[in-house]
Amino acid sequence: MSKNSNVFLKTCLKKGVLILTIAFLSVAQAFAADPKEGETLFKANCTACHAVGKRVTGPDLKNVDQRHDEAWLVKWVHDSQAMVKGGDAAAVKVFGEFSQQVMPSFANLSEDNVKSILAYIKQEGEALDKKAAAAPAGGATAADSGTSSYTIFGLLGLVVVLFLVIVVLNRVIKTLEQLVLTRKAEGSISETEEEEEAVPSKFVQTIKILASNKKVIALSIVAVLVVGSAWSWKEMWEVGVTQNYQPAQPIKFSHKVHAGVNQINCQYCHSGAWKSKNASIPSANVCMNCHNQINEYKGEALVDADGEKIDGTAEIQKIYQALDYDPATQKYGTSQRPIEWVRIHNLPDFAYFNHSQHVKVAEESIRAAKGLKAEDPVCYACHGEVAKMDEVYQASQLTMQWCVDCHRSTEMKHAPKNHYYDGMVELHEKIKKGEKVTVAQMGGLECAKCHY
Amino acid sequence: MDSNNKTYWKGLEELNPTPEFEALQKREFAEDLPIEEILSGKANDSSVMPRRDFLKSLGFGVGAVALAACNKTPVNKAIPYLIKPEEITPGIPNYYTGVSKDGYGILVKTREGRPIKIEGNPSCPIAQGGVDAAGHASVIDLYDSTKLQSPLLKGAASSWEDVDAFVKEELTKVNASGKKIVLLTDSINSPSTNAAIADFIKAYPTAVQVTYDAVSYSGIINANKNSFDKAVVPSYKFDNAELIVSFGADFLGTWISPVEFAAQYASKRNARHLKETKSMSRHIQFETEMSLTGSNADVRIPVRPSQSGLALIGLYNSVAKLAGAQTFSVETPEFAGNIIAKTAKELWEKKGKSLVVAGSNDVSVQILVNAINALLTNYGSTIDLDNASQQYKGNDAEVVELVNEMNRGTVGALIVYGVNPSYSYPKAAEFTAALKKVAVKISFAEREDETSKEFEVIAPDHHSLEAWTDAEPRKGVFLIGQPTINPIYDTRAAQKSLLVWANNPVEYLDYVKNVWNTTIFPQVGAGIFQDQWDNLLRQGVVKTAGVAAQSYTFAKDLGTVVSTITNNSKAAAGKVELTVFKHTNVGDGRNANNPLLQELPDPVSKVTWDNYVAISEKFAKEQGIAEFDVVKVEGNGYSVELPVILQPGQAYGTVSIALGYGRTAAGKAGNEVGKNVYPFVSIINGSLQNFNAVSINKTGDSIELARTQTHHSIEGRDIIRETTVSAYANDPSAGSHGHHDLAEISEKDEKDQAKRDKYGNLKLLNLWEDKEKKGHHWGMAIDLNACTGCGSCIVSCNIENNVAVVGRDEVRRRREMHWLRIDRYYAKVEEGTEGFMGHDSKEEAVEVIHQPMLCQHCDHAPCETVCPVLATMHSSEGLNQMAYNRCFGTRYCANNCPYKVRRFNWFNYADNDKFDYYMNNPMGKLVLNPDVVVRSRGVMEKCSFCVQRIQAGKLKAKMENRPLKDGDVKTACQQSCPANAIIFGDINDPESEVSKLLHNERTYYVLESIGVQPGIGYLTAVRNKEKVVAEHGHGGHNHEAKAESHS
Repeated sequence: MSKNSNVFLKTCLKKGVLILTIAFLSVAQAFAADPKEGETLFKANCTACHAVGKRVTGPDLKNVDQRHDEAWLVKWVHDSQAMVKGGDAAAVKVFGEFSQQVMPSFANLSEDNVKSILAYIKQEGEALDKKAAAAPAGGATAADSGTSSYTIFGLLGLVVVLFLVIVVLNRVIKTLEQLVLTRKAEGSISETEEEEEAVPSKFVQTIKILASNKKVIALSIVAVLVVGSAWSWKEMWEVGVTQNYQPAQPIKFSHKVHAGVNQINCQYCHSGAWKSKNASIPSANVCMNCHNQINEYKGEALVDADGEKIDGTAEIQKIYQALDYDPATQKYGTSQRPIEWVRIHNLPDFAYFNHSQHVKVAEESIRAAKGLKAEDPVCYACHGEVAKMDEVYQASQLTMQWCVDCHRSTEMKHAPKNHYYDGMVELHEKIKKGEKVTVAQMGGLECAKCHY
Repeated sequence: MDSNNKTYWKGLEELNPTPEFEALQKREFAEDLPIEEILSGKANDSSVMPRRDFLKSLGFGVGAVALAACNKTPVNKAIPYLIKPEEITPGIPNYYTGVSKDGYGILVKTREGRPIKIEGNPSCPIAQGGVDAAGHASVIDLYDSTKLQSPLLKGAASSWEDVDAFVKEELTKVNASGKKIVLLTDSINSPSTNAAIADFIKAYPTAVQVTYDAVSYSGIINANKNSFDKAVVPSYKFDNAELIVSFGADFLGTWISPVEFAAQYASKRNARHLKETKSMSRHIQFETEMSLTGSNADVRIPVRPSQSGLALIGLYNSVAKLAGAQTFSVETPEFAGNIIAKTAKELWEKKGKSLVVAGSNDVSVQILVNAINALLTNYGSTIDLDNASQQYKGNDAEVVELVNEMNRGTVGALIVYGVNPSYSYPKAAEFTAALKKVAVKISFAEREDETSKEFEVIAPDHHSLEAWTDAEPRKGVFLIGQPTINPIYDTRAAQKSLLVWANNPVEYLDYVKNVWNTTIFPQVGAGIFQDQWDNLLRQGVVKTAGVAAQSYTFAKDLGTVVSTITNNSKAAAGKVELTVFKHTNVGDGRNANNPLLQELPDPVSKVTWDNYVAISEKFAKEQGIAEFDVVKVEGNGYSVELPVILQPGQAYGTVSIALGYGRTAAGKAGNEVGKNVYPFVSIINGSLQNFNAVSINKTGDSIELARTQTHHSIEGRDIIRETTVSAYANDPSAGSHGHHDLAEISEKDEKDQAKRDKYGNLKLLNLWEDKEKKGHHWGMAIDLNACTGCGSCIVSCNIENNVAVVGRDEVRRRREMHWLRIDRYYAKVEEGTEGFMGHDSKEEAVEVIHQPMLCQHCDHAPCETVCPVLATMHSSEGLNQMAYNRCFGTRYCANNCPYKVRRFNWFNYADNDKFDYYMNNPMGKLVLNPDVVVRSRGVMEKCSFCVQRIQAGKLKAKMENRPLKDGDVKTACQQSCPANAIIFGDINDPESEVSKLLHNERTYYVLESIGVQPGIGYLTAVRNKEKVVAEHGHGGHNHEAKAESHS
C-alpha cells in the first residue's frame, strides 16, 4: 500500500519538476546560451568523463560556474593543457586533483557552444537541488523496505482469515449439533423416516447399476492403468530434466538490457564460446569496462520473475561491492569477493561439451538446422532468444536425446568450407550430389564423441 | 607360427608350474566365488534368504531408490574470476617450460592456473622430449597436503620474519666464533642457485658447501681427475657407440642421466636405424642384479660383485694385448664362450665407436675403465670430457670428513638442502648422533624428514613447479623453468632464503634474471636481454656452441689400481654377496612418498609397494629358501628382514636389495614401505661402495609381495617375437613371418587346406562384419626394439587419464588400475648362443623382452560382442569406446578380452578414505585432468587411445581451418617416451609415421591368429647376438628351417 503511494508521489514529483523545467526553459530561451543546444553538445562530448551531480572520470560539473568564471571555463575547454603548462593556479590544481588525467581539447566548440553547455549544466544542477529538497518530504526512504513487509503482512492477513474461518466453522458445527440434539430430544424426526424420505435419483441409480457391472469395473481399471502408466512414463522421462530452470541470480543481471536494448555482442562477455569448451562467465573486470562509466540504470523499468521491481542502479553497485570498488575515488580495495552466479546449464560430469565446436566450427550448419535469422547469434539455437530474456532460463532440455536428435537431423553444411574435411572425399561427393549428410553419419552419435 | 622356438615365461611359477598355479590360471577370479553353493542351496544358512525377507528387501530397495530419486537437483555455482588473468581462457590449457627435479627440460601443462601434467620438451638436448616416471609423478607432490605449510622455528609453526631474524642472529654468532657453517647439498647444477650459495658464503666467510649424493659418482670424478686431470663426470654418447660394454652401470634406469641415455641408446636400435643401416648397436652387460639395462642387453652375463673388478681387469688385459700396452697377470674369471676375450676382440674392432662403462663407485675400477676407453680411442667420440655432465658433483670424502668435523665440534651451523643423510648416509646413526654437536641446524626440506626432525629451523622450499628454476645439466646447456602456480603454502624458495640471510633480500626472479644477464647470455651470444629472456622462456633452453670433444690418452701406471681392485675383490668375496642399487621408480628414496611411483611395478620384478631380497632360483633352493620367505640379511653391522623373490638372471651366490625404501618420515604413502638398506653401503677408501658380504637366514615368516607379474599368463602363446640382427639383415621380416602369411592368406586360395590347418579359418570364416575404414583410423605402432621397459608411459597415462592408485592390498588382489602395463617376458638363453652359461652352470642365463600392453582397439573387438548394454562399442575411427555411464559392471568384456587390459573399478577410489593417496583429498583432486571422467565404482575402464587428445587435436585443426597433420595428436604414453618406442596416428594417412611403421616388415600383431584385428602393431625385437657355434647355417635360412620344423 505504501509502495503505491510512493509511486504516486514520485510521479507527482516528476511532473512537478517537468513543469518547473519547462517554465525555466521558456525564461532561459531569451539568453544566447541555449540549454537545449547545451544538452545535445553535453551528451555528445562530455558524458564520457563528466556528469552533473557526481564525480566520474572528471570532476562533478554541478556548480562549476560558481567555482570558475565563464571565460576561464571556455579557455579550459578549448585547451586545458596549455593552461596547466602556463601555470594557471586553478588549472594546475584541478589537473593534480584528478591524477593528472588530460582532458582532451575541444577547440571545435565555439564560445557560444561552451556557454550553452554551461547553461545546461546550471539548469541540471538546479533541477537536482529541487529534487533533493523535495525528497525528504516525499518519504522516499521507505521505498527500500517494501518487499519483505509486503509478504509478512500478506501472510499475517492469511493467518487472520484462516483463523476467522476456523472460528466461524466451529460455530456452525456447534449450532448444527445443537439443532440435531434438540430435534432428537423432541422426537420430531425418526431416523427411519429420514431414509424413506431420500428417494434416490435416476442418475445415482445408473451409477449403482454400472458399479455392479464387472465388465465396466474391469474396463475402468484398465483405463486408469493405461492413463496412469502413460502419465508416469512421461513424468519419469522428465525426472532430472531441468528445462525452464530459472534460478534467482546474485545480481539481477538482465540479458535483455545488455544484449537486447544495448546490442552488446555475446562474444564481448562470453568470449570463451568461440575458442574453448567453456563459454565462460565474464569476470568482473569485463563488466567494469562499461560499468566504470555507467553506474546507474536509466532504462526501462525492470521487474523480476515474481513481478518485483528491480533497482538497476543498486544491482550495478553489486559489481562494485564484489570488486571492492569505490566509484567516488575510482579505486579498488582489497576485500574483493567473487560473484557466485547460479549455474543454469548443468551437464553431467560424464558428458563433454565444447562450445567452440558448435559456435565456431559448425555455426553454418546449426544456423541452417535451427532456421536462425541472419541477425541472430548462433547461441539462440540452444539458449533461446536470450536477448529477450531479463533473467535467463534454460531454454532447451539438455538431455542426451535432445543432443542426439539434433545430431541426427543437422546437415554438415560447414564441411565444404572447412579444410579439415578436405581428405574426406566421400563426404564432399555426397554433398555435391545434393545428398543429405548429417552429423550422425559423420560419427556424431558415437559414444566417445562426448563421453570420455 | 612361432617365429622362434624359444619359450617365454612371465614368472617362475609359469616356468615350473605347480598344480595350484595351473588351477589358478584357469580361473577367471583369483579368489573363490561361492556360485555353486549358492545355486545348489548348500551354502551356509546365512546366504539363503527366505522368500519373505527377499520381498521385504526388494520392497525396501525399490522404496529407497524411489526416495533417493526424489532428491532436489543440486544448485551448482559458477564462480568466474574477478579479474581474469590475460593468458588464461577457461577450458584451454597453457604450457610453460620447466626443469624437472632431475634437471632436464620439461613442459608443464596447466589448466585454469593449475599444473596438471608434465610433458617432454623436445627442445631440451638432454631429454629430447622424454620424461621418466619420476618426472611425470612429481606433479602430484605439488598438491601434497601433508607438506609443511609454513616455516618451523624450534618445531613450531612460525613466520618468515621470525625465522629470518633467528637465523641471521645465529649465523652471525657462529661466523663470529670462527666455527664452520656447512651447507650440505646434493649436486646443484643451477647457475642461479650456485650464485646464491656463493653470495651466502661471501656474507658468512666461515661457510662452506659440501656436496653429498646418496648414490654417488665420486669414483668417476676422482678417476677422471687422476687419469686426465679433469674432475668431472663426462658426457657419454651412447648414440655414437656401436658396441656398449657395461659393468653394472644401469644407464637406462638409474645411472647418471637415464632419460638422455635411453634416447641415445634407442636411436641406434630403433626401426628407422634398422631399416636404414640393417644394423644396430650391440650391448653386452656384466652385472649382479637384473637391472633394467641388463634386461635390454643383447648379451648379459651374471657376475658376482667380487668378480666384477677381476673381469674388468681381464677385459683390460685382453684389450691391452691387442693394443700392445702393459698387461697384468691377475687370475681373471672366465665365463662361457670366452666372453671376455671375445668382447675385447670386438671392442678392438670397433675402436673409437665403442663405449665401456662401469657402475662402480670405486675410483680404481673407474681408472681402469678410463684406461680401456683410452686404449680404444673412445675419448672424443663416445666420451666427451670437455662438455662434461654437471649432473653429479658429490664428493664422498668430504661427507665422511664432515661427520668427523661435526663430532669434533668445529661445525657451528649446518644447513641441509635437498639431501637426507639421517636416512641415506650409510652410517646414518653416526650422522644423527653427530648432529647433536651442531648448535644451529637448518633445513629446506618440504616436511620434517628423518634428518630435519629436531632441527631448529625448517624453511620449506617451494616445489619446483612453484619456483623459478634453472639448470646446466651439461656444460653449455642452460635450462629455465618458470613457476606455473602461485606457491600453495607459505613456502619460500631456498635460494631466496639464503639471499635474505646473506642480507641481500632481492626478488628471486630479479636475481635469476641478473645471473642470466651477466653470466649466461654473454656465453650464448650478444643480444638484447629482454629478447633473449623472452625467447628463453618460450624454448626453455639455450645452448652455447660448445667445444669440440678432445681425444685423451691414458698415461698413468695401473699397477696400484690393479692391486687395489684385486684386494677389494678378495675382501668382498663371501658365501653370500649383497649388492644394493638405486631403485628405478623411487630413486634414492626422495620419491618414496609418491603413490604413483610406489604403485608403478618395478620394471623387472614387477613388485609394487615394497623392496625385497632378489636371489637366484638355484641358490635359493640350495639355501632352502622359497619365494616370499622372509630372510634376515646381516652384514656391515646391520640387518634387515625382507621377503625373497626368485629373480631369474640374478648372479649365483648373491642377493640384491633396492635402496630408497624403508623411509620413516617420508609422508603417509612412503613411510614404512619396505626396509632401508643404505647401512649396507660400505665406505671403502672414502667412497661409498654398493656391495658387501652378508649372511642370510630364514626367519620362518612369509610375506606375499604385491606383484603384477603373474597376473596375466602367456599360456604358451605366440605373443613375443624376436629375431637376430643378421637374420633381419637377410630378411627384414624375420621373426614376423606369421603376420605376413596371415596378411596374404585372404588373397590366396581359400581352399588351401594346409594353410587352414595352420592358421585356422581366419579371414575365411569371420564372426564380424568388416567395416569400411573411412576418415581417420587411429592406430599405434610399438617398437619392441626401442622400448626399454622403463615405465614412464604408465605414469604418464595414470596422470593424463585420472587412473586411481589402489595400494598394496588391492594389487595383491590383482586389482591394479593401470590402463597400460609393460609385460616382461623371460626366455632362457638358447644353447649355442652367446650368453649361454652351460647346462650345469650355476648361473641362470636369461634374456628379457619388455612389451607395453594396452587396449588393442581391435577392429573386431570381442569385448564389444559380449556387453549386454552396449557400453563398449566401436567408433567409425577405429576406437574401442567405453561409455562409463552406460556400463553396469558385468565384467563380461574383461573376461572376453584376449589381452586382459580391461580394469574394473571395485571401489570409488576418488572419494574413499580407505584409498588415502591423493584423489581423496581436496588438494590432491586439483591434479585431475578436467577433460577425463573420474570413474566411479562398478564400471569397467581401459585405454581410450587418449580420446580426449584426439578430439582436441581434431577440433584444433577444424578451428584453424586445415587438415589434421601427423603429430597433431599424441597420446600421453607416446608424448614423453624417452625412446620414442610408441608411435600413434592415423593409419589411413599413408604419410603418417604410424602407417609407415605398420607397413614395416618387422610388424606383427599380438594374437593376430584369433582374428580380432588389433589396432596396435608391434615391431619384432631384434637382438644383436650370434650363435657361438654355427649349427645350421646362418640367419634367415636358419630361421626358416626352424619355422618349418616348428609348424
